[in-house]
Amino acid sequence: MNLEDYRALFATVSLVLILVVAFPALSTVVSFPSGGERFSELWLLGPNHMAEGYPFNVGVGEEYSVFVGVSNHMGCSEYYMVCVKFRNQTQPLPDSLNSIPSPLNSTYEFQFFLADGETWESPLIFSVQGEPMFVGNISINEVVFPVSCSSTWESERNGFFYQLFFELWMYDGDSSSFRYHNRFVGIWLNTTVQEAAF
Amino acid sequence: MTCKLSRTSLLRLLVVLLLLSAFVFPFFVLRAGAFSGDVATSAISEAEEVVASAYEAVLEAENAGADVSGLLDKLNEAGMLLAEAQIASRLGDFDEAVLLASLCSGIGESVKNEAYELRVEAYGSRVMVSWLTMAGSTIGVVAVVFGSFLGWRVFKRRYIQQVLRLKPGVAKGES
Repeated sequence: MNLEDYRALFATVSLVLILVVAFPALSTVVSFPSGGERFSELWLLGPNHMAEGYPFNVGVGEEYSVFVGVSNHMGCSEYYMVCVKFRNQTQPLPDSLNSIPSPLNSTYEFQFFLADGETWESPLIFSVQGEPMFVGNISINEVVFPVSCSSTWESERNGFFYQLFFELWMYDGDSSSFRYHNRFVGIWLNTTVQEAAF
Repeated sequence: MTCKLSRTSLLRLLVVLLLLSAFVFPFFVLRAGAFSGDVATSAISEAEEVVASAYEAVLEAENAGADVSGLLDKLNEAGMLLAEAQIASRLGDFDEAVLLASLCSGIGESVKNEAYELRVEAYGSRVMVSWLTMAGSTIGVVAVVFGSFLGWRVFKRRYIQQVLRLKPGVAKGES
């Protein structure tokens, strides 16, 4: 190695050392992109806290339970709202492709705040009131709400079907309102079983 | 004459009682559940705004580096009250809705104030840490530059001396 080679080596080592020493100061000025995808989870569990045994054949006036949960991986604290909606086979679901919520009014709402990495879960005890082909009210967590939802006989599946579904909304500081977070889960309910008991 | 007097005093008493009742009536009305749906709706909207602004204040405090876990617990409490107020209003229990909404607003306001204080505290300590880091890094960079420069000079001098000490020799077989 000649003197020029040693000079280049010295300069390189010095530059590396300068970068190492200056990194803490640079990190306070320059924001580095945080790794990982930012998202929220929404789930629905059956009465035994498992992804099985969901209520399906429901009797009018009988109580059933599910667990709804949300997990925050958005990188900061978030203000969430879970809208519980009830529909028949023909009423619209959320449009996942265009991120549009269902136009149906929510029957029940959960609102909560979650720090990054935290999880929220709540039981939801419900019962339908009315007749198999017409659900007048739905009781959620011991509060009765009018829904007035009728269903027609579905010959392919032999029954009157309704769906209880949950939409995830998130507070948007820019618009100062909640916006649909493009996530929903739901369960189908068959009220036909009760008809045999009549 | 006595009869006339007593009739006048009776009339006066009646007027006084009417006036008194006019003042007292609103209080009874309020107690007996006079909140209308509009009042409940406006109380709930106000509570929603307070909770939303409290959340934004908490978010700012969090971005400033403050620990906001305690504030989030309080906000969740406010959120539950708000949800209960909305349910009560939907079921026509407007008194309950107004009461729950005002409780929610109270919690929201206190959270907002605490969040501002936390943000100021966190921002102050963050500025201090930033200054210390900047100063440390600057001193470090100057030390590295200066040290490298000195090191290079010492190395260069020794290298040249070493080269100068080398004696020219003649290899075998050369003429």
